[in-house]
Amino acid sequence: MSATPQAVTVEVGDHIEWHLFGLTFNVDTILGTLVAGFIVVALGLLLRRSINSRKPSKLQIFFETVVAQVEEQVEGSMGIRTAPFVVPLAVTLFLFILIANWLAIVPTGHHPEYMPPPASDVNLTYALALFVIVLVHITGVRKRGFRSYYHHLLTPHPAMLPINIIEEIARPLTLALRLFGNIFSGVIMVSLIALFPAYILWAPDIIWKLFDMFIGLIQAFIFGLLTILYFASARPVEEGAH
Amino acid sequence: MANRPEAAGNFLVPNGTFIAELIAFLLILGILYRYVVPVVQKAMRERQEMIRRQVEESEEASRKLAEAQQRYRDALNEARNEAAEIRETARADAQRTVEELRVQAREESARIVARGEEQLRRQRDAIVRQLREEIGTLAVELAEKIIDQRLTEDARVRQTVDSFIAGLEAQDRAGEAARAGS
Repeated sequence: MSATPQAVTVEVGDHIEWHLFGLTFNVDTILGTLVAGFIVVALGLLLRRSINSRKPSKLQIFFETVVAQVEEQVEGSMGIRTAPFVVPLAVTLFLFILIANWLAIVPTGHHPEYMPPPASDVNLTYALALFVIVLVHITGVRKRGFRSYYHHLLTPHPAMLPINIIEEIARPLTLALRLFGNIFSGVIMVSLIALFPAYILWAPDIIWKLFDMFIGLIQAFIFGLLTILYFASARPVEEGAH
Repeated sequence: MANRPEAAGNFLVPNGTFIAELIAFLLILGILYRYVVPVVQKAMRERQEMIRRQVEESEEASRKLAEAQQRYRDALNEARNEAAEIRETARADAQRTVEELRVQAREESARIVARGEEQLRRQRDAIVRQLREEIGTLAVELAEKIIDQRLTEDARVRQTVDSFIAGLEAQDRAGEAARAGS
């Protein structure tokens, strides 16, 4: 801890907590998740009502661009027919994480913020990453059979088993913590910038938040892309096709 | 963070929020999975299909246009050839007609000439016959006047006249024969 008293007050990772059934719930994260989720779902349902294959609206073009990109990526890495459900999954992950990350630009001026970007809480990123990885394993086992799928842990040599297991564990962990770290660092940056005196504060704040939006986009993209690539690793392979 | 007493302060450890987040995400995923993404995909397919169809139709149309132009050119050429043929035939017909008319006219004129000659000959014959009768009387009157001679016997006179005319006729026939001979 520094000698400056102000620096001590930079508290990050604090949450507004509710305690229920012996569990702790971070209400601010949940609120952020719900808001982001509501925005995504509302946009989706709005689009569903106005969808028109002849005269697409801007919203429709945005959704179509995302879906087309994801489809292209899925097709390129494993073929859509192998796992068609990966497309909506990756689309949802991308859109949800994007909107969630962009919540960071909304200030509430409280500490802790009522509505931080939910990805700055590991609970969200763990949940997303775990869901993805579990689904990847399920898909792998379904498509290739238990033995065949987990045989890859013994390649290229059985002695590699520990390293392969570490890799399998590292995947969800890195997937979750990469997103968390990037967004969390944004929150820290905002907290640090808030220490500036008010007459100087606005300039770095604007610059940072614009950059943070860019980071949010990149992270959403990376999360979706990695999801697709992990599924691609579970596809039924013709041996030696790697 | 150092002054926080328990592990709850470690922000890398998940808590009950995890469950809430998982449920929330599953809900969002479920809605987008069921209601949104398929609709978007369908719209995209439809538009791609529409574009494909339009491209096909435009290709078809330009093919048809080229075909129609070809047919038009063919028809034009054919019509031109036919026109030339008709002109040629007409010219030949006209020539033939002119030729026929010319021949006909020539024949006609020959016939007219022949008829004219015939008529002339008949008139001449008639005149000759008339003259034959008148000349006798005239000659007699002339002779009476000239020689102041009274011829008492008509029969003799007539005989003289007849022989005179016979002489004339003979001369005439001889002349005609000579003409026919030449």
